[in-house]
Amino acid sequence: MEQLAVEVRGLTKTYPGDVQAVRGIDFDVFPGEVFGLLGPNGAGKSTTVGMLTGTVAPTAGTARLAGWDVVAEPLAARRASAVVFQESVVDRPLTGRRNLEIHARLWGVDPATAGVRFGEMVDAFGLGEIIDRPVGSYSGGQRRRLELARALLSDPQVLFLDEPTVGLDPLIRHELLDLIAVLRRRDEMTVVLTTHYLDEAERLCDRVAIIHAGRIVALDTPAALLGTLGSELLEVHVDGDPAAALSVLRAGGVASEDAFSVGGTLTVPLHGSPAHAAVVAVGELGLTTTELTTRRPTLDDIYLRLTGGRLAAA
Amino acid sequence: MATIDASLHRPRATTARAAASAGSTNALRTLVRRRFALNIRTPRELLVPLLTPVLFALIIAPALADQIPTVRGIDYMSFVAIATVGLLLPLNCMLAGIGLFVERDSGARRDLIAAPVRRPLLVLGNLAVALAVSGLQLAVLMGAAVLRGAEFSGTATGIAWFLAASIGLVVVMYGVAETLANRIPSQEEYVGALPAVAIVPWFFAGSLFPIGAMPAALAAFAKVLPLTHALAIMRYGLVDKRGIGLHDIWGMSSPTVMAFLSLAVVAAYAILFTVVAVTVFRRATVR
Repeated sequence: MEQLAVEVRGLTKTYPGDVQAVRGIDFDVFPGEVFGLLGPNGAGKSTTVGMLTGTVAPTAGTARLAGWDVVAEPLAARRASAVVFQESVVDRPLTGRRNLEIHARLWGVDPATAGVRFGEMVDAFGLGEIIDRPVGSYSGGQRRRLELARALLSDPQVLFLDEPTVGLDPLIRHELLDLIAVLRRRDEMTVVLTTHYLDEAERLCDRVAIIHAGRIVALDTPAALLGTLGSELLEVHVDGDPAAALSVLRAGGVASEDAFSVGGTLTVPLHGSPAHAAVVAVGELGLTTTELTTRRPTLDDIYLRLTGGRLAAA
Repeated sequence: MATIDASLHRPRATTARAAASAGSTNALRTLVRRRFALNIRTPRELLVPLLTPVLFALIIAPALADQIPTVRGIDYMSFVAIATVGLLLPLNCMLAGIGLFVERDSGARRDLIAAPVRRPLLVLGNLAVALAVSGLQLAVLMGAAVLRGAEFSGTATGIAWFLAASIGLVVVMYGVAETLANRIPSQEEYVGALPAVAIVPWFFAGSLFPIGAMPAALAAFAKVLPLTHALAIMRYGLVDKRGIGLHDIWGMSSPTVMAFLSLAVVAAYAILFTVVAVTVFRRATVR
């Protein structure tokens, strides 16, 4: 049986003051998989990554990286992984070269291998012209590329990308996503990506765990998760009480139990029913609507159905 | 944006199970080099902490010596030259602590914490650099004092006592600096606390006058300060063969025994503050 890249069982973190950041989560990540932890700020994604990378002490549960227990065998577990943190974590007064060298030495990469990989990474990430400049002079995108190169220098079995595109402008964000997609194509590289950008998760991840209030509320491939809502949604903007309107739609047979409301918007999975029939039915139920639209479901809808909160507003 | 080479040659030479261990020695060496590179990027960063003690040695100490030729038979110029060491080393260590805020707030500390390295090494690497920088500065300071007329006994034993006390004091003060830097939330608060930690004890520790000249309560307080013991040992090594400063602390007759006792006190403080520093660092970095 192939060893799991990441194995999490009952992982829990309670901060002082009984703040339950992560509440007994379980998941596995297979070798070579890109696994997304999706959820809003404060959902527990970064705490989970912190526990897996040894910067947060678990309150309960176990976690293994490449077979190594992160608590009982922390050095081996850390040697098997590398992290790109949400915020920039580099020695800005030092050159890019120096930052990479320090990382390689601390991760125990032998000098000959480090030399080869250094050249590969600098070329792959387009750092050749800036590698001998102090990192403080880099742009945000250049720093991110350096951090990705640094993380890959030790050839980790598990790469953690903790909200890698937060704070970047759209152009740099797209460039970085391209970079991560390249990583994804590389054999044996397991990537655990946390994000609250749904398009990132859809674009990059083989499987996604939606985490909410410290719990995993859904875990599957993006396609399977999207499939739970069918191929088309009816979005109804109503005046008045949306909960009452939703009840009317359910009672009228237009909406099933997986319909949900956020603010004044009702989202109704159609599950194969013709959209025009649903629109007519809504009209016949006498609801005061301001807008009726149909569209394809997104991961955002999955999240909203599961948590009742909009990611972008988190 | 550079074109990304999607067909990277990727020899998996390093796997978690097969990788050669970084080894504590190699990791410590890397951490020390990194800290050196961060701390001493320009001569200014090496020289600024020296300014006050060197000015003291060159200007204030000779002026004081002009008014007070000797203290209990010891040339005051030489007596005060040792005092400047007691000012330099705590100041230098506390200033080194400021770098920890930079590392925490905008540096690579989290990457170091995620590294497969025993975490006490992160503190010990910084300590090693504090020792090395202090040593360089100490040499400059003592050179300045000699040029200005201080006279030191140059026996190997005396120098050994002096160095042992200096090393002990640096370890104590760096432990204090690392502890405070990991406990105090902001750099501003830390800088505000710096004089109280690095300079105030200097006035009580027999720097400018023997502790016996102070009221009994203050003298008793002085005896628990590591700086008092360190200064007494340094003077015993270089200017006070009779161990008058040590006698003020211990009231015994054998200077060597008293020096060992004071060194034991300094060593105990050094161990205590290093352990506290490592513990506080762990708590601060692993939530």
